[in-house]
Amino acid sequence: MNIVLRQISKSFHGRPVLENLDLKVAPGEFHVLLGPSGGGKTTMVSVIAGLTKPDSGSVLINDRDVSLLPPGKRKIGLVFQDCAIFPHLDVFDNIAYGLRVRKQGEANIRQKLKYYLEKTGLEKEKHKFPHQLSGGQKQRTALLRTLVTEPEVLLLDEPMSSLDILTREQISAELVNIQRKTGLTTIYVTHNQAEAFSLGDRISVLHNGKIEQIETPEELFYHPKTEFVARFVGINNILKAKVAATSRREAVMEITNEGLSQSFKLKVKNYPVFKKGEAINLCLHPEKINLSKKNAAIDGGLNRICGKIIKRTNHGNTFKVTVDIRGLALHAVIPKFLFNFQVYEEVWVVFAPDALHPLCGRRCRAPEFSRKCHNDLLTY
Amino acid sequence: MRDILFNLIISLLSGIFMCLIVLPLVALFTTTSWSELAGQFKSPLIVSAVIISFQTSLAVLLAALVFGLPVAYLLAMKNFPGKEILDTLIDLPICMPPLVAGLGLLILLGGESKFGVFLNSRGVDLIFSKPGIVMAQLFVAGPFLIKSSRQAFEAVNKNVTQASRCLGASEFHTFRKVLLPLARNGIYAGMIMTWARALGEFGATSMVAGCIPGRTETMTQAIFGYAMSGEMGSSIAIALLLIVFSFTSLLVFKSRIRKQLPGA
Ligand SMILES: Nc1ncnc2c1ncn2[C@@H]1O[C@H](COP(=O)(O)OP(=O)(O)O)[C@@H](O)[C@H]1O
Ligand SMILES: [Mg+2]
Repeated sequence: MNIVLRQISKSFHGRPVLENLDLKVAPGEFHVLLGPSGGGKTTMVSVIAGLTKPDSGSVLINDRDVSLLPPGKRKIGLVFQDCAIFPHLDVFDNIAYGLRVRKQGEANIRQKLKYYLEKTGLEKEKHKFPHQLSGGQKQRTALLRTLVTEPEVLLLDEPMSSLDILTREQISAELVNIQRKTGLTTIYVTHNQAEAFSLGDRISVLHNGKIEQIETPEELFYHPKTEFVARFVGINNILKAKVAATSRREAVMEITNEGLSQSFKLKVKNYPVFKKGEAINLCLHPEKINLSKKNAAIDGGLNRICGKIIKRTNHGNTFKVTVDIRGLALHAVIPKFLFNFQVYEEVWVVFAPDALHPLCGRRCRAPEFSRKCHNDLLTY
Repeated sequence: MRDILFNLIISLLSGIFMCLIVLPLVALFTTTSWSELAGQFKSPLIVSAVIISFQTSLAVLLAALVFGLPVAYLLAMKNFPGKEILDTLIDLPICMPPLVAGLGLLILLGGESKFGVFLNSRGVDLIFSKPGIVMAQLFVAGPFLIKSSRQAFEAVNKNVTQASRCLGASEFHTFRKVLLPLARNGIYAGMIMTWARALGEFGATSMVAGCIPGRTETMTQAIFGYAMSGEMGSSIAIALLLIVFSFTSLLVFKSRIRKQLPGA
């Protein structure tokens, strides 16, 4: 069951939240919608569900235009950020709600729920009320309440954001498992890039009311196409460059960021978009940067620049290190066991030409979702 | 030191206000004896005033539920042009002197307006009748139910009603199975307030009811009538009854609310 959004626009009080948004989600795809808070993710999901009427544009589910149908007729399942389970009903009645609406007999419902309750470990909780449940149990109830109605597509709006990491990973794993088994087309909304990378077949990044980039997780991380996406996936070194020279394998770039006391040159792997004399933005992956005390010329092919460490923050097993290079702050992620420097120490910043990627802009070719790539991932 | 002074002043001022409420009640309860009171309730006119008051105020409650709940639902759940105006109109009877409402109804239903003339020509005369009293009381007391239910509807998590819709339930099913149960306490509160207000209504009712003893005289009008003609005993007896009703209904309601909120 595919989902297609065509030219969806929606404003609130004259402020556009979604602007001519197009999206195609393939049948059986686990699609992650990634974007900052307040970016319109919930609005988009509720447009698909039929809870919010868009100003213009249409929604197709399974090639059927559902734009004029009420939510209940769209065969969608929606799980809310806050679970939204019925506070006046116990777990059993919550899960049975959709089935009772469909007038499936009580005996039938009891039998069906027994199976599901046992499978999800909610059997013991079935007569508890929502205020007696843990966050994970609530979210499981909400998920089950939706799944028992056998929707054609599943929409999940930040379902894990209020759970602790362990519960989150557990429920995510169960969710992925169910999704792979049933092939239920799923849109999973999150503002958490780590979650997006671990769950999605493809990720689309929502920014300023448009899809900024649609990509497989690998591609999105290593080839962000805009500054926004680069920063959002954690690549916060954006370099403004001018192409000085190109050769078959490499290009030489002159870095011209504002605040730089003196421009410098870098070797970058050559890309077809590089045209001599033209300006382009590059991103430099922080985890591909090494720091070194001496300018030891081990490999002449690497970029080396001298700088000074100005900040170090602690992130579990890594340090995020900020190095000042002639007025430009570069960020590096260094494994703790490799870090033997002092703050304010002079260091050499070393990285290979392929640590840099061009941000060639939004005019991106969205790769089609393919079952093959999906299966590759599975066997992998 | 300053805190002690502050708390002292706060307590003192609160005390003065409490006296204002308690002393008149004490005055009512101490000027009469049980035997005198029991005697008063044998008077058929007083009994009829009590019955009329109950009949009309319960009818008001029913009418407020039938016509007011939809208004509350509209205001809470829908956006439509003129919503602000409707909202203000609902507030108006709460601020407006009830006498003015009564005057309006008197003109509308009496021979002064086309509508009244039309009604009279059909043999419908609402002035000086119980339906007229119900209309007057509904005007004054209905908004309490509407406001309270509206707030209760709005307090229900939107996602919960939307979840119901996504699970395939119609808007009506969602109203019945999700919104009403979750808004129950607010609706009860509104019902109590509307009923108590209707029971105690005087101004609007007196304009349209005409205080015909035994036919259209409610308890509040009887209190006024007896007090003005110097029959204090009867006046006090009815007043005490009203106090007892208001107090018990409030108590019953508060204890119910407490029971229904298990840790939520
Ligand atoms: N019903 C609404 N009325 C007015 N503004 C809204 C409404 N829903 C969302 N918005 C606004 O639209 C923007 C996007 O909201 P939302 O879709 O909830 O973002 P996200 O889910 O990505 O955090 C926000 O600025 C929010 O204030
Ligand atoms: Mg949201």
